[in-house]
Amino acid sequence: MKVVIMGCGRTGAQLAGLLDADQHQVTILDTDTYSFRRLPPDFGGTALLGNGLDEESLRKAGIEEADAFVALTQGDNRNVMAAQIAKHIFDVPKVICRIYDPIRRELYNTLGIETFSPTTIFSQMLKERLET
Amino acid sequence: MEFHRILVPVIGAEADEEAIKLACRLAKQDKSEVYAVYIITMVRELPLDAEVESEIRKAEDMLNHIENLAEEQGCRIETDLLQARDAGPAIIDEAIEREVDLILMGAAYKRRFGEFSLGEVLPHVLKNAPCCVILYHQYAEFTSTKDDQ
Amino acid sequence: MYIIIVGGGEVGYYLSKALLNEGHEILVVEKDATRSGFIIDELGSVCVRGDGCEAATLAQIGTGRADMLIAVTDDDEDNLVACQVAKHKFNVPRTIARITNPKNEAIFKKLGIDVTISSTNIILEYIEEEVPTHPLTHLLTIRDKGLEIVEVKIPADSTTVGKAVKELSLPPESILSLLIRKDQKPHLFTANTVLQAEDQIIAVTTPESEEALRAALRGT
Repeated sequence: MKVVIMGCGRTGAQLAGLLDADQHQVTILDTDTYSFRRLPPDFGGTALLGNGLDEESLRKAGIEEADAFVALTQGDNRNVMAAQIAKHIFDVPKVICRIYDPIRRELYNTLGIETFSPTTIFSQMLKERLET
Repeated sequence: MEFHRILVPVIGAEADEEAIKLACRLAKQDKSEVYAVYIITMVRELPLDAEVESEIRKAEDMLNHIENLAEEQGCRIETDLLQARDAGPAIIDEAIEREVDLILMGAAYKRRFGEFSLGEVLPHVLKNAPCCVILYHQYAEFTSTKDDQ
Repeated sequence: MYIIIVGGGEVGYYLSKALLNEGHEILVVEKDATRSGFIIDELGSVCVRGDGCEAATLAQIGTGRADMLIAVTDDDEDNLVACQVAKHKFNVPRTIARITNPKNEAIFKKLGIDVTISSTNIILEYIEEEVPTHPLTHLLTIRDKGLEIVEVKIPADSTTVGKAVKELSLPPESILSLLIRKDQKPHLFTANTVLQAEDQIIAVTTPESEEALRAALRGT
């Protein structure tokens, strides 16, 4: 599978490493080359400097042939916009987007973007852990 | 010090009663006019001129009560009901329009997030008032920490 | 009309000032405390501090009864989200987004934003008008119909000088509307109108056939 990841933070870098180890073809984008230090040393994919909101950068990252796109920057709105570009402009079959704000997450889920809110997942997990 | 036109903003707190009594006392002394104004703060979900029955009834009851109180003090006052987005600017506008030389208002003892708080209205009035301001600070022991506004 | 403006920067401030003067009910949503304090001091109770992309904030300020939401923050993505939340969660009839990157115009349109305003494009249009040699000047865009009104100048060295309109291969979406010729009153085209050097032509076209129109009128 060919995957484009936007945002090389802790989650992005770790996901890129996991997919790469499983022989997937990974391209990871970030606006700061310093972020790429988080990638595992044996990372075999492509790390590209670029803005995932820019069509040109996305093309360079190979979005046109990508099977999946994951938006993982720190900005909810940036993630949402990039995910919609991937889905509606480039017709990427699978698009996943991280949205911290639970209400916004719900809205974009109903607008057809697959979304995850770490806020909801983590607080739910903590609650369950505390109650057992 | 003499005051001829006194504005008493009524917010529905206990301190209002004392504020109006104090205003009446000053009024009798200086033969001044007293205006009691109740301001309904309209939420943004509704247009500014929306008529919220329950709010209006509450305001009218409050103003009637205040008027009776004043009468007991032997003082005739004028009352008015206003609707505004924020009480602070509305009080200032009213003070300018009525050319008052004193705003006399009650302040409730409040806590917000565990800290003593004057709220938002009072600082605005103090900062922007075109005239003297007398604040009647009602003494009360803290009973609840949820009382924030 | 009840108009919500997201972003109380310079654009948001002057925009709300102008709209207030026109008698509209305005509310500015601004994240920064100092900035929102400034607007309240200057314009009165027309600003709340908050995130205009957050549904909770938008619910509180009565977005459900708003006639229009205009997002003018500095970030294209924030403007997009504010407009989308307003449109899809609160059914605001008209949403307008300011964009900085002109490429986002098409994307925003596709994602359901009614109107986008690109300051970059607007400045470009003015530059075109100011540069006399520019082959084609955008005069007006009729966005909802996908049409634009443009001006094309015919330089003396154009291969089309001396040709009649019927001899030109104009793109089908284009209509020549008005001919402005030196020392003459502007007049309408007929099929037999012959082009002269220094003619100014006002035409209606689509953005896609703009280039074809320019080529047909000036020769290549």
